[in-house]
Formats: sequence, structure tokens, C-alpha cells
Amino acid sequence: MSSVNKIALLTFCTALFMAGSAVAKPGVAAKGKEIYDKRCTWCHGAEGAGDGASKDRLNPPPRDFTSGNYKIRSSDFADPTPNDEDVFRMIRDGMPGTAMPGWSDLLAEQDMWDLVAYVKSFAKYDKPPAKQVDYGTQIKSSADSIEKGKKLFEDGDRCVECHGKTGKGSASKRLKGDAGERTWPRNLTKPWTFRGSNDPKDIFTRISTGIAGTEMPSFADPGSKKKLSIEERWHVANYVASIAKTDKKVNAENTVIKADKVEGELPSTPDDAAWEKTAPTTFYTVPQIIGGERYFMPSNDTITVRAMYNDKMIAMLLEWDDRTKSIPGDSDAEKIADAPIAEDGVAVQLPVVIPKEMQKPYFGMGDAANPVNIWHWKSGTKDAAETIALLNSKGFKEIEKRDAAGVGLKSKAVYGDGTWRVVITRPLTTSAPDKDIQFSEGRFIPVAFAAWDGSNNGEKGSKHTMTTWYWLLLKPATGSKPLITALIVAGLFVGGLLWWARSAAKKPAA
Amino acid sequence: MTQKRRIPRLLQLVLIVLGVYISFVLLFDVALHQLIPKSLLTMYMLFVVAGTVMVFTFTEEGAQELVGPIKALVEDPSKKMIRNVVFVIVPLLAGYYTYTSMMPSFEAPMELRTIHPAPPSKFKAFGKSFNLTTLENPFRKFEKEDPAKFKDLVKEGGNVYIKNCQYCHGDKLDGRGPYASGLNPTPLNFQDVGTIAQLQESFLFWRISTGGPGLPAEAAPWISSMPVWQNFLTEDEIWKVILYLYDYTGRRPRSWANE
Repeated sequence: MSSVNKIALLTFCTALFMAGSAVAKPGVAAKGKEIYDKRCTWCHGAEGAGDGASKDRLNPPPRDFTSGNYKIRSSDFADPTPNDEDVFRMIRDGMPGTAMPGWSDLLAEQDMWDLVAYVKSFAKYDKPPAKQVDYGTQIKSSADSIEKGKKLFEDGDRCVECHGKTGKGSASKRLKGDAGERTWPRNLTKPWTFRGSNDPKDIFTRISTGIAGTEMPSFADPGSKKKLSIEERWHVANYVASIAKTDKKVNAENTVIKADKVEGELPSTPDDAAWEKTAPTTFYTVPQIIGGERYFMPSNDTITVRAMYNDKMIAMLLEWDDRTKSIPGDSDAEKIADAPIAEDGVAVQLPVVIPKEMQKPYFGMGDAANPVNIWHWKSGTKDAAETIALLNSKGFKEIEKRDAAGVGLKSKAVYGDGTWRVVITRPLTTSAPDKDIQFSEGRFIPVAFAAWDGSNNGEKGSKHTMTTWYWLLLKPATGSKPLITALIVAGLFVGGLLWWARSAAKKPAA
Repeated sequence: MTQKRRIPRLLQLVLIVLGVYISFVLLFDVALHQLIPKSLLTMYMLFVVAGTVMVFTFTEEGAQELVGPIKALVEDPSKKMIRNVVFVIVPLLAGYYTYTSMMPSFEAPMELRTIHPAPPSKFKAFGKSFNLTTLENPFRKFEKEDPAKFKDLVKEGGNVYIKNCQYCHGDKLDGRGPYASGLNPTPLNFQDVGTIAQLQESFLFWRISTGGPGLPAEAAPWISSMPVWQNFLTEDEIWKVILYLYDYTGRRPRSWANE
């Protein structure tokens, strides 16, 4: 090998090595401060105490760097010091499910290392951690490993105690952070909310270190009764990664709920197996911040909808994860949540008149010229069953309560393992077309949703999560019309071509 | 006349139309990631086909040469075999096209809205009337007159922003706040050169204080998630937020003086 080639190879290998790893570079804290003062103080505060202007309007609250708690770190469970790479990664990639964005598009790499140095100085971390998480040899995910992990997850209530049997964090225990704030267990079926990604290696790390400042303990701690070996932790990590594979995931392209036409009766309960045959459509929900008392502390971020119809009725199945079944007056519900709790709820919003043009009613409860129908389901109290209300509104302030039973609006709900499932049915048409939407096949009907978690800051009234307008389509049964038309067209072509050929043959050759 | 062997005119026409079609798809769908709606593409292609045919049949000989192969196919007995094949394929294709176009597609309807609508000359907010042609940011002058005070004002604007606007428009003012993915239309990206850098501060004041519902019809006010900020913020707070937007992004507002 010539020396030129050797140098080239060496350069190539070095480049490969540098690209493949985020090697800690010494950051300069003083430079980091300049960037911090411009970009970070708004939330994390001038002195890093997590007390910036936004502090009371963020859920989770901004990190208090003076506490020394680093939730996402890869140092040994007994050593709270984060690795520089851990802090760097959070700055570069951000934390999903929080207001912390990734900064790599606005800051240069060295800027971010400088920030690491400055941020760490708030808790006076000046030495690297003495010990790291021991990963042993990674066990690849397999049916066998997932099965073992599931057993360990459930065994002796190890993980189930907080995360629930289905991993949705359906609460059986009140949790709080070190600062006394109320915290809720992670819903493990929503991978997009994992602060440090749901890659099995990341999950292994969280299980091993625990999550600082919260009640999530380390399962590597030999002093823990629920301790897991390295191998066992890989199984649990593989299991947790497996339950995060859900079909109730938002697909931004899919903005249309397609209601299938069925013969015979529609399912009237959420448990009916017929629902399995229809495709779910999932939308993001966001807190209500456009009118009345604004809301910034949501617990839920998605809603999943299915719909079916027959020649008389339409049925919708609404599903959303809620860690608590909020029944005011119920002692179990009140044990988990901070009183006062309100009823859980969900609402469907539809225009009274299906728009012919682009114009729709205002997405926030309609407007003076374009009223909406709102079907508002509530979970009921200790002394009263679930209810469904029918509202006609022309904006937040002009709301008319109507008789739901009078138009045949009905609901049936089931709560289980951290999920509400509610079926709402209504006849396609009513006797008051000026007040009620009249459903018809093949039309694109604007539809929007809202949800309330009564155990989360007592969500009620204007405090709720919601979607913007999406579409509901009663998919027409196509029948045989396209096939017959296609055959006629093909026939006409054959006839035309033959006629042309014949007339050409009759013509004397030119 | 010595004639070189060249591509038959009919094939030329087909190749040109096909080439234009592929370039459309490559340019918009692949390079720009801006899918052209099917209906729009169909309309464009109709013009392309019509135009190309017009050029190709401009002279009598040209037209003759173009339809020559087709006429030959039907009239020339030696081409009977190909003719039979074509006569089977063409009706099949026509039938298939009819079938697929009659099957409903269930694609969501297109909604074309103006993102930066023309502002009115006057608008009402905070119980009074504002004249957009003369309206100026009352704090802008401190940028030169009292830089220390200006810095404080920007900071106050930043505090208003982080408590109210970042949820949608983002910490980085890039339109990708924590709630942004739940909104349609998505929040505006102020870092983008096509947004606040193209606007006057008075335009921003109008958009912020009257929010989504204050938009004219062509901008689809019914779907905009922008709150009506005069319900939540004071006039001064809005002007300070505007200072912050320009300061953080390093953009300059447009003004009559600079035009």
C-alpha cells in the first residue's frame, strides 16, 4: 500500500469514527452562559432554577438545573452526575412530549457543548461520573425475550404497580416528584412521549438508573426488593418496546374518518367485535387555548375514532387513554386524584349544515352564521349514570341545550385498563333539519373532538383538550355501477374501432 | 431532400408529453416534496397535450406524418396482427380507466387559503379603530433613542411570548411548538424569510390582536387556531411581543420609510 493510500485510509477511518460517536468536547461555560441567557432563561430561569416566565404554564415543568436531577442519564444509578453526552443529547434532540425542542438546527455543535458545561455548573457537577450503566451484552428482541419481559413486568407488581397491566399508566397509586409536584406514570403505549426515546437500549438505561426526581426507582440497585439482573432488564426493555407498537398512532396524512356501510344492526357497545373490522383513525388533541379560561396542563394527547352506518343510524366509537376513571363521589377515584375531581368527558362537534363550499363553522364551537351540533358525553357521578347531552352552539357564549333523547342520540361507555371507549349513536336524519345535522352518504363532513380528564386538575368547562376540524365520510357502497359503466365504455371503443377498420377496408387503396 | 433517419413524429409527440409529465412529478413530488393534486396535474397535462398536438399539426405535411402510422395501422393489411392487438388493448385500457375513475377515492377535499391576506385599511380592536396605513410600533423608536430601555422591552415581549405563543410557534420561533402537530393549518414559522420579514409591524399587530376570526374569508378564518389576543393581552404587550419576534429572529420589519 502506498503511503498516499495509507493516509487516505487513515483519514477515512478517523472521519468515520468522528461521525459515528458524539464524543464529548470540552465546553466553555462562559460561552455557554451567553447562549443560555439568550435561548434558555425563558423557561429554565436566569439562575437555572427552572423558574423562567413560562414555569406555571408548562407540563412537565422546566427542569431545575440546581436540583442536580438529570432524568435521562447513563451514569451508574448511585451517581447522580450525568455524562456530558447525556446533557448534550437532550439539547441536540430535545425531549419528546415536552416543550423542550432540539436545538441542532439553530446552534452549532460547539455551542451545545458550551451549554453543557454551563448547565452542569448550576449543580456544581465538575467531575465526570465515576461509574457507568453496565449494559452487559444486549439481548436482541424476540418473542421469547418479550414473553420473559412481560412476566418480569407483571411479577410481584414490579412495573404494573404504577404503569398498570397494559402499560398505559392507569393509576393505582398517587405519585409525586421531589419538589412535591403531582406526577403521573408514563403511558408506555405512546412511544412519541418517551423523553429519551423508546429504543430498547434507552429503555434499559431508564430501568437501570431510575428517573431522578421522580418515584421511578432503579432496578439495578442491589438494595431493591424488585431488583433485576442485566439479562432480566434487557427482557423488560424488549417487552416495553413491544407494547409501544400501537395502531392508535397519528398518521398526519389521514384526516378522514371513513364510516363503513353495514347491513343490519350497528354495534351499540364498545366491546362489540364488529368494531375490529373498521379502520381506526387517530388525531392529536391539544389543550384549549383560544377562549374563556385557557388550559395548559393536559394529560392526554390523542383520540382514536371509528365509525359505521346502516340505512338508518350512524355509530361512532371514540377511544382515548385516561389514567383515571373520574367519578365524582367515588372513593377510589378520589384517592388517586386531587379533589375536587370532575367527570371525564368527550365531545363530537359537527356542523348543523354540511358545508357545500370551503367555508365551515369556526372550529371553536361554531359562529353566529354557522352553528354546530355538539354531542357531549360525561362519565357520570357516584349517584348518576353516564349522560349524553346535545348542544347547539354559535360560539363559546351562545349555547342552547337540547333534548338528546328527542333526536335519538345515545351513548354507551366502558372504562378499562387506562382507556375510555364510548359508542355514540344517532339516526342519520332527524325531524329538525334546521337544528340537527342530516347525515348523507359520500359527503365530506367536518368533524372535531374534545376530551376532559376530570382527575387532571379537575378538567371541566373550557379546560379540556381538543382537535381542529377533520373529516367524516360515510363511505358509499359502490355497488356494480363502476363495473357496468366500464364494460359499456370498453364496448363502445370496440365498436368504434371495428367500424373504423371496416370503413377503411372498403376504401379503395390510395 | 436528404432525410436523416429520425424518430417518427408520433413517437416524438408521445415522448414529449411523457417527458413533461415525468418532470412535473420529479420536480414537485420528489425534489420539492410538494405533491401536486391529481386534478391539477390532469388539467396541466391537458394543456400540454393540446399544445403539443397543435404544434405538431401546424402544417399539413406535419399532420399527415403524425397520423400516418395510425392510418397505416388500420388500413395496411400487412399490419393486421398489430392491429388486432391494439384493438384489444385500447378498449381494455378505456374500461380500466373508467372503472378506476368511477371508484370513489375518499381523498380529503383540497382547501386553498391565502396565508398572508391583504390587510384592511382600518380595523377595530381594544374598543377602538386602528388605521393600518399609519399605525406604528410605539416602542420601535427606543431602538435608537434608548437601547437599554429597548432591551428591557424586548425581554418583556419575550416573557409574553413564552407564556402565550411558544405552544404553537415554538421556543425557536420556527412554528414547531409542542402543540403544533395537533393544528391544521400549522403555525407560522417566524424564522422563515417569507413571513415576518415581508411584513410591517402594523400587519402583525392586526393579525395578533384579531386572531384567526379576524381574517378575511379568503384566508379561511374558521380553521385558523390563532387566538384573538385582544381578549388575553394588552396593546402594549402585543407591541412588545412584536419587538421580540424581530429581535430573536434577527429580521427587520418592513416599513414605509425603508421602501
